[in-house]
Amino acid sequence: MRPELEHLRRLEQHLLGAPDPARPLLPPALAADAEAQRRAYGALHLAGQRQLRRELAAIHQALYGPRAGRWAWTAAADGLRLVFARWGRRARP
Amino acid sequence: MTSSEVLPTAPVVAPGLRESLLADRTRALTRLYQRTFPAVRRHVLRRGGTDQDAQDVFHDALVVFYEKVVGETLALTAAPGTYLVAVCRHLWLRELDRRARHPRADLAAAADCPAEPAAEEATEPLPVLAYVEQLGEKCRNILLAFYYFRQPLAQIAATHAYRSVRSATVQKFKCLERLRNAVRAASPTASPR
Repeated sequence: MRPELEHLRRLEQHLLGAPDPARPLLPPALAADAEAQRRAYGALHLAGQRQLRRELAAIHQALYGPRAGRWAWTAAADGLRLVFARWGRRARP
Repeated sequence: MTSSEVLPTAPVVAPGLRESLLADRTRALTRLYQRTFPAVRRHVLRRGGTDQDAQDVFHDALVVFYEKVVGETLALTAAPGTYLVAVCRHLWLRELDRRARHPRADLAAAADCPAEPAAEEATEPLPVLAYVEQLGEKCRNILLAFYYFRQPLAQIAATHAYRSVRSATVQKFKCLERLRNAVRAASPTASPR
């Protein structure tokens, strides 16, 4: 990886890695860098939550939306048609 | 009845829940939704809420549940559905309490006269979400898959047809660099690197 990406990786270890008291504190010169990266993670967290909510709304729509209802009615109607067809065949002499 | 009968101490592990959420999120969430939402909806409707309230409360609970499960910070002491229903009951109780303290009339009046913007909004030229939206679709998907949905890099590499995990890792950091640069550009006091 090029040095700039290695720098990001080290900052990531610092910001997201398990707390380690032996790890030295970030030099003050890197504070702004670390802050920008922290805000990038914050933005990703919010965007992720928003995407997950969109996915949940889509799941709800698929399970309980009007289309799902129509499918349920269609399936029920098909089932009834089948029952009546069988019943009709049986009733026929 | 002793407390140990009410609150089992041994965690009830939902076998493979984290793995199934990571492997096929839509499928795992759909299954959880089908099993759990009817009970949540029933509870909310019985206690004065609407269908939309039930949906909102359930989604709030599922978002936190997802984050905790994939982040491995949740020791389940009940089945996932039981846990979710309990969380939703609590959230709905809190919402009812909030509504009692701030009746609808007040909320409607507040909506007509919006409050001062939050401090963060005032200082940021772009809302924070816009940074992510500005990334290309591929970068956005890779970053969200890794940092929010917690998918392993091997899975991300396979989804995006990278030849190796290392290639996916490099791409992830390139995307993060772009996002960070956008964030930095929005705060001119920071020195470039």
